[in-house]
Amino acid sequence: MIDVKQLLEEIKASPFEEIEVVAPHTGVVRFALKEPGGKVAGPSGSHLEKPGTAVATLERERNLKTVYAGIKGDLAKVYAELDGSFVEAGTPLCLIRHFLTKSEAIDSILKKVLHLFYAPERAKYFFIPEIDKKIKALGARNVKVREGMELFIASRMKRERPVAYTGPEGQIYTVYFQYEQNVDAGQPLIGVCPESQVGLIQDVVGKVQSDWEERD
Amino acid sequence: MRVARACERLGLDFACVYTASDEQSGHVALGRQLRGDASVVRIQSYHDANEILSVADHCGATAVHPGYGFFAEDFRFARRVTERRRKLIFIGPSWKIIQSLGDKINTKRLARSLGVPTVPGSDRPVYDELEAEEIAATLFAFQSEQGIEKPLVLVKASAGGGGMGIEEVYTIDKFKNVYRRIRNYAKRQFHDEGVLIEQRIHHFNHLEVQILGARGGADIVHFGTRNCSIQSTGRQKRIEVAPGFAPAEVSYNFDAAKVLGDIVDHSLAIAREVGYDNAGTWEWMVTPVGQPFLMEVNTRIQVENGVSAIVSKIKGQGGVDLIAEQIRLGLGDAMGYGQSDVALCGAGIEYRIIAEDPAAKFAPWVGRIDRFAWQGAPWLQMFTHIPLDAPYEIPIEYDPNLALAIIWGKDLAEAKARGLEFLGGVELAGQDPVGSPLRSNLSFLREKTASILEFH
Repeated sequence: MIDVKQLLEEIKASPFEEIEVVAPHTGVVRFALKEPGGKVAGPSGSHLEKPGTAVATLERERNLKTVYAGIKGDLAKVYAELDGSFVEAGTPLCLIRHFLTKSEAIDSILKKVLHLFYAPERAKYFFIPEIDKKIKALGARNVKVREGMELFIASRMKRERPVAYTGPEGQIYTVYFQYEQNVDAGQPLIGVCPESQVGLIQDVVGKVQSDWEERD
Repeated sequence: MRVARACERLGLDFACVYTASDEQSGHVALGRQLRGDASVVRIQSYHDANEILSVADHCGATAVHPGYGFFAEDFRFARRVTERRRKLIFIGPSWKIIQSLGDKINTKRLARSLGVPTVPGSDRPVYDELEAEEIAATLFAFQSEQGIEKPLVLVKASAGGGGMGIEEVYTIDKFKNVYRRIRNYAKRQFHDEGVLIEQRIHHFNHLEVQILGARGGADIVHFGTRNCSIQSTGRQKRIEVAPGFAPAEVSYNFDAAKVLGDIVDHSLAIAREVGYDNAGTWEWMVTPVGQPFLMEVNTRIQVENGVSAIVSKIKGQGGVDLIAEQIRLGLGDAMGYGQSDVALCGAGIEYRIIAEDPAAKFAPWVGRIDRFAWQGAPWLQMFTHIPLDAPYEIPIEYDPNLALAIIWGKDLAEAKARGLEFLGGVELAGQDPVGSPLRSNLSFLREKTASILEFH
């Protein structure tokens, strides 16, 4: 039996994540924040439509692109020595120390409670069109999956193959992959909540909601 | 890598780009070795024109070579390169020619206007299901009238290429499902739902004509024909042979020499009509009775250019490098020779060595290459981006091509014998993440060598 309290204590012991902000593409970088130590905000708004704190800009082909802090936290490090220089895609620009939110803490614990269906190979994954339509219309949690059900299309090198779900019957609780993003083999694609686990899931959510203290 | 080597041969400076997935690729190491760290720049995607142009500006480049894919046939990219504020030279045909010939339908219309035979079928991308069904029904009826026992219609993604997104349909009843599948595939992969519907020509040979034109479009020469009929089940080329047929060594049910002459003449007629001004390939299908149909024009240098180069001599000199010629002419040099200065000697075979499983519909294999070695020979040219001194992880973002081996012989028989000798000496080993051994198409290439250029 999974001990939710113990899982929560484990996360509380190390409630941080360090996130590196990298140049999304090439260009000349100008830092908006040059000193570490300040606080940065992540995206906000009901649809996350408001971007977070601008940490830098990249100029490419006479277009300025603002690089935002993708997540709330403390600015732990800024690579200010790059200011004014041309950087390659993927160049680290700064480091954000992020304190886990309630929902992230819940997600982290749910990954240990839900049945995770993993990517069998590195590929881009899509739900098959019928399931995709249903998820878009009703949300993933209204989609039930069962053993052997053809659920995904794995796209690798432009070749596609169907991937069937294996595992207990239940509802899709969490979708871990993003459209057009490669997923490494062994990474979870979906978290499925078997009917027998619904109580436990509610327990996890309730426990974190009451015990987790969010930081500003 | 061949573009970098051609620049080196021409004494030109260059910079190259790579993505995170391609970090271990040989072109990165070669670029660093030839021109230093600063000439190799990591970008976010090969599909992003802004990335390529910003790197070109940063490095002070004066021209852009688009390689074999992605932007090579994108007229918008070519136009942007040549018409932006800091103008660059696009190494390829002028954008108007790419636009004109890159449109398969336009090419078909132009060809028909010049009396060049083309494949029956839709004359533009189809987006409407009912219209698609009508075209398919017409093609099935037409083939039945022609006495074809098993009529077949080809459904292909209009924006696709390289044999991807193509399916065959045998009955009108199954057409709708296939149409929808290809349309959905096209939307996912190419962001364009347009589908082409054509008559499927059975048992054809896939031939190509290599064309080269100088800027201005007045000087145009050809470097003969290639036969690219040995393909995977997904219609991906695996062996290319120059010349396209060998009537002196193989018997055909038609006048093969005349067919080769006809497709060269037809290709040149179109090239002259549009003032073709760089490297390009005219793709043909030839039916078992020797009827050629123009499939399309690839307005770019193709991977298999080397097999045409290896059988070519210019003014009696071998060692022809068509990529170097393409760059030289693209930069505005005069051709410096005419058709009578180009001689085609012997036979060439190009093997595409790929990590894939021919027994499983050529499924790509992904894993780590631990050892890759072969025996060198004066009649062999080998091109590979796989590091030979360190293990190499195949990135899944791109096709698992490992190498091109190009073999020359004084005739087809000698080229085939040398091809088998080469393939027998290749050492290739590796394993995937679960420890299964590497799969490659080496045995497929060996098996197919016996029937090269045979056409029954």
